[in-house]
Amino acid sequence: MSTEPSFEAAEKELRQIVERLEGGAVPLEEAIALWERGEALYRLCRERLEQAEGKVEELARRVEPENPSA
Amino acid sequence: MARVEAIEYGDRKVYPVSAFNRGVASWLERLPSVWVEGEVTELRRQERWQSVFFTLKDSADGSCLAAFMARGQFDALQLELRDGERVHVYGRAELWPSRGELRLRALAIERLGLGQHLAALERLRQKLAQEGLFAPERKRPLPRFPRRIGLVTGNDAAAKRDVITAITTRFPPARLLVAETYVQGPRAAAAIVETLRAVVAQPQVDVVILARGGGSFEDLLPFSDERVVRAVASSPVPVVSAVGHEQDTPLCDLAADARASTPTAAARLVVPDLDELVQSLERLRSGLERGARRTLELKRERVQRTGERLRAAARLRVERHRAGLEVLAAKLRALSPRATLERGYAIVRRQGQLLRSTASLALGERVEVELAEGGFAATVEEVRP
Repeated sequence: MSTEPSFEAAEKELRQIVERLEGGAVPLEEAIALWERGEALYRLCRERLEQAEGKVEELARRVEPENPSA
Repeated sequence: MARVEAIEYGDRKVYPVSAFNRGVASWLERLPSVWVEGEVTELRRQERWQSVFFTLKDSADGSCLAAFMARGQFDALQLELRDGERVHVYGRAELWPSRGELRLRALAIERLGLGQHLAALERLRQKLAQEGLFAPERKRPLPRFPRRIGLVTGNDAAAKRDVITAITTRFPPARLLVAETYVQGPRAAAAIVETLRAVVAQPQVDVVILARGGGSFEDLLPFSDERVVRAVASSPVPVVSAVGHEQDTPLCDLAADARASTPTAAARLVVPDLDELVQSLERLRSGLERGARRTLELKRERVQRTGERLRAAARLRVERHRAGLEVLAAKLRALSPRATLERGYAIVRRQGQLLRSTASLALGERVEVELAEGGFAATVEEVRP
């Protein structure tokens, strides 16, 4: 994971990890690795949500069509 | 019909421009009067002019036709036409002789009535449906977590505020880019298209809501305009149409990727509920722990079961050997002469050799007799064959 996944991707991967772990068919070492990865993804998601600041911007340019046929 | 005089240059007939125009004009006069449908643009009316001039435009491909009407007649209609309005004009083609230009002499102008609007709308709907613009497979899924949400809306404060409030209440971290446009009247369609393009061109805009509060059928017409419908269908990011109320179905609803009949419904479509999202994350986290524990538990159980099977298998093997041994011992016992002796038989030997017959036996010979319990020596007193 060189680049940080988007919230969407992180949440999806976390969900998949949980599903795999709940299936119980994962080899032990892999299960431990998945757990660690899952925890990291969870933290990433929470951080993203806490850091995100709501923002309402107005598009500066009020669009006035010069030529209505354009 | 006016006679058109030609000038003769030798055997060549040549018409002056005015004569040519008059000729064409008189030929055109023979054409019947018809109804023409189009959008009114470039309406020019001045008190000192005898006619009112305007251009009729075909909204589908932009074809234009110059038209005019006697000013008195136009004023008497009291239409108060605005640029962009759709009308039916009854008239005939005329050549404006001084300029050689074709014009439509309007004898009657009618603004499109509800029925005609509906019919036109239905035709457009069928045409676009045939093109596949409304096909379900064209609909794109909405992003679960849009980085930025575009909102194209009228400057009607209430409608705009309702959508913004619905979104920010549900998901406070939402980032919105709001763009106002005309949503009503003849200029609206072109303005909506422009605004939509401008919004989707902004960075990180992953979804756009096209919003307008309720209104009359005519008020909502721009959202059924072919240009708007096409712009919605060809938007590079998914579009949610939140136009009018539940009972309204402007054509942009059909072309949009999703439709919302209220600001709250629009918010539900474009952003997750923050509280639910946090809860779901927490659930995932406990699922993670539970899953890991369960995996561990399963492994442990499996190791234990394998061990038990191993031990059981070993026990079984020993048991089987022991049983086999018993059988062998029983057989051995059954076959040994000892058992025979126990039934009352005796073994007789002479000089260590088993005796099976009396043939070689002589009187007075010494034999050894073995019984089940003990034995003795004997001397032969009588021999019988």
